[in-house]
Amino acid sequence: MKKASKLLEALIYCSCFSKKFLIMKITVLLLFFGVAQAFGEKSYSQTARISLDLYDVTVEKVLDDIESQSEFYFLFNQKLVDVNRKVNIEVKNEKINDILTDLFADEEVNFLVVNRQILISPKDINVAEKTTKTVATQGNVVTGKVTSVNGEPLIGATVVIKGTTIGTATDVNGNFSLSEVPSGEVVLTISYIGYLSREVVPVGGTVNVTLDEDIVGLEQVVVTGYGGVKKSDITGSVASVSAEDITAYPSIGMVESLQGRASGVQVMANNGEPGSSFKVRIRGATSINSSSDPLYVVDGFPGATLPPPEDIKSIEVLKDASATAIYGSRGANGVILVTTKRGKTGKTQIELNASYSVQNEINRLALLNKDQFTDYINEVDPGALDGALIGPGTDWQEEIFQPGQIQNYQLSFSGGNDDIKYYVSGILFDQKGVITNSKYKRFSVTSNLDIKATEKLRFGANIFARRSIRDGIRTQEGSSGSYSTGVISGALTAEPTLPVYDDDGNYAISWIGDPNDNPVAVANELANEDVQDRLQANFFGEYDIFRDLKFRINVGTSINNSRNGYYQPTTLLGGANVGGQGSISAGKYTAIINENYFTYTKAFGNHDITAMAGYSYQSTNSEYWTAAGQTFLTDAFLWWDLDGSSNYMQPNSGITKTKLSSFYGRINYKLFDRFLITGTARYDGSSRFAKNNKWAFFPSGAVAWNVIKESFMDNADLFSQLKLRASYGITGNQAIAPYQSLARFGTVHTIQNSEVVNAVRPTTVANDNLTWESTAQTDIGFDLGLFGHRLILVADYYSKITSDLLFNMPLPEYSGYSSMLKNIGSLKNSGVEFTLTTVNFNGEFRWTTDLNFSVNKNEILELPDGNDIFYRVMPGHMVGINTTNVLREGESVGAFYGYVYDGVYQEGETILPGNFDQFAGGEKYKDINGRDAEGNLTGEPDGQINGDDRTIIGNPHPDFIWGFNNDFSYKGFDLNIFFVGSQGNDLYSFTLMELETLRGIMNSTTEALRRWSPTNTDTDVPAASLARGYHASSRWLFDGSYVRLRNISLGYSLSKSVCNTLHLGNVRFYVSGQNILTFTKYRGFDPEVNYRTDGSSAGNLNLGFDFGSYPNAKSYTLGLNLTF
Amino acid sequence: MKKLKIFSILFIVFGMFACTDLEEEPIGLLAPEGFFKTDKDVEAAIFGAYGRMAYNYYWGRKMSLTIMLLSDIVDIGNPATPSRRVQINEFTSDAYNGMVSAFWPTSYSIISAANAAIAGAESIGGLDETRRDELIAEARFARAFAYYNLVRLFGDIPHIIEAVTDPEALGDISKTPAAEVYAQIIADLEFGKQHLPMTQNARSRGSRGSAVTMLADVQLTLGNFSEAYNNAKWVIDNAGELDYALEADYQDVFNALKQDASKEAIFVIDFKGLIRGTEGDDLIGPVTGVISSDMQGWDVAVPSLKTYESFDTNDYRTSVAFVTETPVGGVMTPYTEWKYARPHIAKYTRFPGNAQGNNRQTDINYYIYRYADVLLMAAEAGNEVSGPNAELEGYINQVRLRARNAAGVMNTIPLDVASGMSKDDFRDMVLEERKVELSFEMKRWWDIKRRNLGDEVFKGPNSYEPHDNFNDNHYLLALPQDEIDRNQNLLPQNPGY
Repeated sequence: MKKASKLLEALIYCSCFSKKFLIMKITVLLLFFGVAQAFGEKSYSQTARISLDLYDVTVEKVLDDIESQSEFYFLFNQKLVDVNRKVNIEVKNEKINDILTDLFADEEVNFLVVNRQILISPKDINVAEKTTKTVATQGNVVTGKVTSVNGEPLIGATVVIKGTTIGTATDVNGNFSLSEVPSGEVVLTISYIGYLSREVVPVGGTVNVTLDEDIVGLEQVVVTGYGGVKKSDITGSVASVSAEDITAYPSIGMVESLQGRASGVQVMANNGEPGSSFKVRIRGATSINSSSDPLYVVDGFPGATLPPPEDIKSIEVLKDASATAIYGSRGANGVILVTTKRGKTGKTQIELNASYSVQNEINRLALLNKDQFTDYINEVDPGALDGALIGPGTDWQEEIFQPGQIQNYQLSFSGGNDDIKYYVSGILFDQKGVITNSKYKRFSVTSNLDIKATEKLRFGANIFARRSIRDGIRTQEGSSGSYSTGVISGALTAEPTLPVYDDDGNYAISWIGDPNDNPVAVANELANEDVQDRLQANFFGEYDIFRDLKFRINVGTSINNSRNGYYQPTTLLGGANVGGQGSISAGKYTAIINENYFTYTKAFGNHDITAMAGYSYQSTNSEYWTAAGQTFLTDAFLWWDLDGSSNYMQPNSGITKTKLSSFYGRINYKLFDRFLITGTARYDGSSRFAKNNKWAFFPSGAVAWNVIKESFMDNADLFSQLKLRASYGITGNQAIAPYQSLARFGTVHTIQNSEVVNAVRPTTVANDNLTWESTAQTDIGFDLGLFGHRLILVADYYSKITSDLLFNMPLPEYSGYSSMLKNIGSLKNSGVEFTLTTVNFNGEFRWTTDLNFSVNKNEILELPDGNDIFYRVMPGHMVGINTTNVLREGESVGAFYGYVYDGVYQEGETILPGNFDQFAGGEKYKDINGRDAEGNLTGEPDGQINGDDRTIIGNPHPDFIWGFNNDFSYKGFDLNIFFVGSQGNDLYSFTLMELETLRGIMNSTTEALRRWSPTNTDTDVPAASLARGYHASSRWLFDGSYVRLRNISLGYSLSKSVCNTLHLGNVRFYVSGQNILTFTKYRGFDPEVNYRTDGSSAGNLNLGFDFGSYPNAKSYTLGLNLTF
Repeated sequence: MKKLKIFSILFIVFGMFACTDLEEEPIGLLAPEGFFKTDKDVEAAIFGAYGRMAYNYYWGRKMSLTIMLLSDIVDIGNPATPSRRVQINEFTSDAYNGMVSAFWPTSYSIISAANAAIAGAESIGGLDETRRDELIAEARFARAFAYYNLVRLFGDIPHIIEAVTDPEALGDISKTPAAEVYAQIIADLEFGKQHLPMTQNARSRGSRGSAVTMLADVQLTLGNFSEAYNNAKWVIDNAGELDYALEADYQDVFNALKQDASKEAIFVIDFKGLIRGTEGDDLIGPVTGVISSDMQGWDVAVPSLKTYESFDTNDYRTSVAFVTETPVGGVMTPYTEWKYARPHIAKYTRFPGNAQGNNRQTDINYYIYRYADVLLMAAEAGNEVSGPNAELEGYINQVRLRARNAAGVMNTIPLDVASGMSKDDFRDMVLEERKVELSFEMKRWWDIKRRNLGDEVFKGPNSYEPHDNFNDNHYLLALPQDEIDRNQNLLPQNPGY
C-alpha cells in the first residue's frame, strides 16, 4: 500500500475526519473519474479473480498482496480500520467481494468496490450511495445536489454530518442521499478538493449546495524541484501562477504573461518588436557580470525551451533559498518551474481556443512639423536647408506605423484511460507588428504521454517541437550612423521637409547632417530574418522499488537550430556603398540531461518524512558559423547567393561545450502535523570554473509552524490559516561563459602586401581560482487566512547577499589587458513582498481581487579595492558621450552618472569655463567638485566644469512594482481587469537626447519650440547650437513610473443547457483590450523599455535606457474558447 | 526477480551518464602555454603587434587623427563633429578625452603582443641564435614604435618591457621618466640595426632599414643631431641594398594600388580594402572627405583656407595633397560651393583602391617612414651638425626634382635649393619642405613639437589656425583619468590638466 497523492489525502482530511488517513496511490481526479466510470461500465471487480495463501499475517499485508496481483487500490483510515489484526486466508480465483466479505466478516467495517478502487470504512459511515442502500434506515433522509458556482455537478464531494462520522459522497450527477440523519437540527459539512468547504442546515430534507473554488489552493500539490509538496506544507517562498492567468491575453510567450502575476517577480519588456525578449528578475539582480536570469525548468528539465502559454498547466516561482537550493549553482536567481498539461482519464476532450487582435502603437512623439523645422534650421544653420528640396513634407511616424494584428489558435486533444493518457496540442501564433514589415510567427506541437506499464512501473514522454520566424526591422540599433539608420530613430530624426521618394523615384536621403537613409527605406528594404527550430524530447520512468521508495529517471535532450539571414540592398546607402551586403549565420545548440533520483516517503505516528536523493548530469554543446559577402549582381537573392558576391568577407565559426555534474538531496519532516522542517543540499561540479574550484556545495534549511493547527487556535474562528516560515541557504550562479578561467591568445589579422596574414596576441589572463558567485538568502514570511479564506495575505521579507561576485576587474591598461574575470565584490538585494487575495463578493455576483506588491533594494556592498567602476551605454553614432553609469559601493547597480543640468545661461550671467556651451542660451551645468594641488577631489566647486563635476543623477530600479487583478463574474458573464505598475524608476532617454540637444542636424520634438532666444528667456530648453556636443546629464533623465491597464476582458459563457443542445462542452466568447490605458509622465514612446540589455552583464548593467525602441502595442482582442 | 531486472536497467542508464570529469578542452581557442614551438609562432605574435596598429583605435583613426588635429595644418571642418575631436584640435582636451582613452590601451596591446613574442622567442629551445635575435629585434622594433608615439604624446608613462602573466602585480607601478623610455627605444632600435635583415618580405614589417630610419627620427627628436645624421646617412648610403628609392611620380606615392610595389616605402601601416574586423578598419577617408558630396565624407579633418593658401599652387604636390572640386549630385562642384568652403585633403580619398563608397576601409598603406622623409631628416640633422652644404642641398633637391614631375610633365616649380643659405634659413627651409612634402602624413605635429614651434604657429597673424590658448603644457596630452583612477601612483597628472 502506497502513500497516495497528497491531493487525495487532502480530500479525506477535508471531509472532517479528524485523523489522517493512510491512503493509496492514485490521484484524486483518477478516483473521481473512476467513480464516474463505475456507474457506466461493467466493472473490473466482477471479472477479476484473486488467489491468496497467507498464514498469520496482518490485514494490511493481505491488502498489499491483493494490490500487487491486481489493479485494486485500497482506501481507508488506519485509525478507524484495524489493519494490524492477524488473519489467515486461503482463497483461489475468487472475486474481490467474496474475499473482502470473508476478511471483514467479524469487523464493524463496510467496504465499497468502485471499479478498481476499494473504500473501507467503519460501518457507521456511508461512503457512497450504494452502501447507504444496504444500511437500514434509522433516521430522516436528506438528499441534495452539490454543484460548482457555474452549475457543474461536483462528483465525489463529501457530505458529512457535523460532529459525527456519518457521511456520504455525491454521485456522477452531484447528487447525494444521506439516510441516517438524526432527528433535530443537524449541520452538514460539504467539501470537495479544490473548493472551499461549506456548512449548511438542511431544510425539508433537501439541500442544494454551491461550493466556491478554493482560490488559495491550500490543499493543492505544488511542484517543487524533484517532487511536489502540499501547499500547506511548504516551508519556502513559492508563488504559483495559474493557467488561466497566463492565457488571459495573447502573448509572445510565457514570460510576457508572467508580468504582474507574482510578487517578487519583475518582468520588463526590452522592446515592443514582435518576437522580442523580456527581462525577468526574481527578487532583484543578484549579479553584475553574470546572468541574473532565473533558471527555467520545464517538466523537470532545467534550461529547456519554454512551452507556449496555452500548453502550461501551472507555473511555480521558487524564490527563497530553501526552495531554490535544490538547483544549487543555478538557483541564485530564482527558479521558474513550468508544468505542462497532461492527459486525464476520461473520454477525449477537444479544446479550441482562438483569438484575433488588432493593434496600434501605444504612443507617438510630438515632433516639429515642416514649417517649425524650417524655422529652427534657418535659425541655427542658415542656408543648410536647400529650398528646392522642401516639398509637401512628410510625417514620418505616419509613414512607418500601420495597424498590427495577432492571430492565436490552439487545438488540443487530451484523454486516456487508467493505463495510457495523452495530451496533444498544436498552437499557431501569428503577429503582424505595428511597424511596416515587422512580423513574428510561431507554431508548435506538444505531445505528452503517460503510460502505466505495471502497478510499479510508469513511464512516459514529453515531446515538443516549435518553429518561430521573425522578420525583424532595424530598431534599438547599436549605432544609427550613416549606414545604419534605424526605423524608429529615423522616423523621429528625419527632416519633415523631406519626401519619401525623390523626383527620380528613389528613396530620399537626408540632407542635413550626415547622409541617412529615410525610415521608410530602411523598413521596406532591409531584410533580417530569424528562424529557430526547437525540438525537445524528454523520457521519464518511475519505478516503485518498495512500498515507500520510488526511483525516477529523466533523460532528455533539447536541440535548437537557429539561422539568421541579413541583407542590406543597394537601395540603402550602406548597401549602395558596397554593392549590397549579405550575411547568413547559423547555430546549433544541444543540451542533454539525465536526472536520477529516489524518493522515500514514510509516515509513522506523528512523524511524516519525505526524503529525496539523486544524481544529475547535464551537458551542452553550442556551435555557430557565419558567412558574409559584399557586391552582388542583384539584390534579389538576399543572403542565398553569397558565392555570387565579389568581395568575400571574413567567415566565422566556433564551438563551446559545458558539463554540469550534481548530487542532491532533500528531507521534508513534519511533526504533529504542525512543525515543518526542510533541509536541502546540492553538490555541483561545473566545467566552466577554474581548475582549483570545480566543485561546490549549496545547503539550505527551512522551518515552518502551522499555527492554525494548534489547539489554542481552535476557537479563533477569524483565522482560517496561519503559518510562519523562515529559511536560510546558499545558492550559486555559474552563468559565465565557458573557458573564461583559461589564458588565451586571440587571433588578429594583419596585412602584408595587401594579403591577410594570421597573427595572435595575448587577450586573456588565466585565473585558476575562478569560482561560483554564491548568494546567501534569508527569508522570513507568513501565510495568513482570515474570514474563512475570504482574505489571504502572504508576506515575506528577504535579504540576499551575493559574494564572490564574478567581476571583469579592469586591469591597468598598460598591462596590455583590459580586464580579468575575478571573484571580487558583493551585492545585496533585500525587500519585502506581499500577495493579498480577497473574495469581495461571493454569491451569484462574485468578485475576487489579487494584489501583489514587491519592494526590492539593490545595493553594491563591495567592489574591487572599493573603487568606482565607470561604464557607458550609448548608441554608437552619438559619439562624445563618455561615462553614463557608475558602479559604486552603497549604490544600486546601473546608477546613472553625469552632469547636473541646471537650465540655461542667461544674458550677463557668469559662464563657467569648460568644454560646454560658452554663451547665453547655452546649457548650464552645476559646478559641484574640483581638485586640489595634489590632484585629489575636494568636493568643492572650483569655478570650472569638467569631468569632476559629474555625480550620480538617477537610479533605474523602481521603488516598488505591483500587479492588481480583479475578476468579476455574474451568471454567464465574466470580467477581468488587470493593472500593472512600476514606481520610482528613472529612465535615461537617448532618443530625447538626440532630438532635443538641438544641434541643427535633425528634427526635434516640439520642445524645440520652447528653446531659449533673447526674447524667450524663461525656459530650460537651450538655444539651438551647431557646436553643442552630447553630454550625459540629468537633462535626459525622466521619471519612468507608470500604471498600465494590462488587460481588460469581458467574457460570456453559454449556459450548460445551451451547450448540451449544441453537443458542446463549454463555449465562451470574450472581448478584451491590452495596454489600452497607460499613466506615466515619461515623454518617450513607452516607459516599458530597455536598450542594449542583451547578454549577461549588459542585462544587469544597462537598465532603463531608451533609444530607437519599438513601442509596445495596444491591442483589442476577440476570442473564443470551445470544448467538445 | 522482475524488480531486480528493472532496477539494474535503471542503474545501467544512470551509469551511462555519470561523469565527474569537468576539465575544459576548448576548441578553436589558443592557449599561450605551449603555443611557441617554432619561429613561425613567434612571427605570429609579432604580426599581432602590427595587426593592432592597423586598427580603428590606432592608425585607422583614433591616434592618426589625433596627431593630425594637433597640428596647425589640419583643422576641424564640421563644428558639429564630436567634441572630443574639437577639444584635441583646440587644445582644450582633458583627462577624459575619448580619443585618448581609445588609443592608450591599444598602444599597450601592441607592446603586450611584442613582449609576448620576445618571451616566446626566448622560450623556444634549439632555435638558431641568429634567427632568435632577428625575431626579437623585430618585436622590439614594433614595441619601440608604440613607445615612441606614447612618449611623445604623454611624456612620462608606465613602461612595460616584459611579457605580463600577472597583470595585477603591475597595479601600483610608477611612471617611467621620458628619458628612460627614450633610452629603451634607442636600445631596441640599435638592437634592430644589429640583428634585423636588411629587407623583409613586406614594408609593413620592421627591417634594418626601418629600424635605422626610426632611430634617426628619435635622435632628431632628442636633438642628438649627429646621431640622427649618421643614421639617416646610413640609410641613404645603403639605399640600394635596402631597396629604397623615390617614386617617380608624387601622386603614385598615394595611389593605394601602387603602394605595395613602391620602393619609397620604408615602414607602413598596411590596410586592405573592404576588410573590416576587429582590426583593419580605416576611417581616415571619410574623416577627411567632403560632406554632402558624392564622396559622402564627414568633414572632420580639414585644413584651414590659410593652410591651403600657404601651399604653392604651382607645386604639383599641392594638387596631389588637396582636392578642390568634387562631384555633388553628379555635378563637379568647386570647393567654394561646399558646405565648408575649403580645399580638403586628397591623399586618402583620390586613389583609395578597394573601399566603401565613402572611402572607408581602403587599400591605403599609411607611411610611418618613406624615403623622402629620410632625405629631409638627413638634411635637417646635417645642417645642425655642419651647416648647409652641397650634400644636404642635394637631398632636398632630390625631393624637389621628383616633385617637378607632374605625371610625366616636368614643371619648373619647385626650384632647387638656393646655395649659400644660413644655417637658420636652411633649417626653416627644411621644415617648410617637410610641411609640403609630408603634408597630412601625421608628421607636422611632431615637427612643431620637437622644434618648439607652438607659440609661433598657433599665435599671431601668420598662424594658419590660431589657438591663442596654446601654451607649452599642450605639447603633452593628459594621461587618461580612468588609468590614474586604477593606479594613483601615476600621479601627478601632466601639468596644466
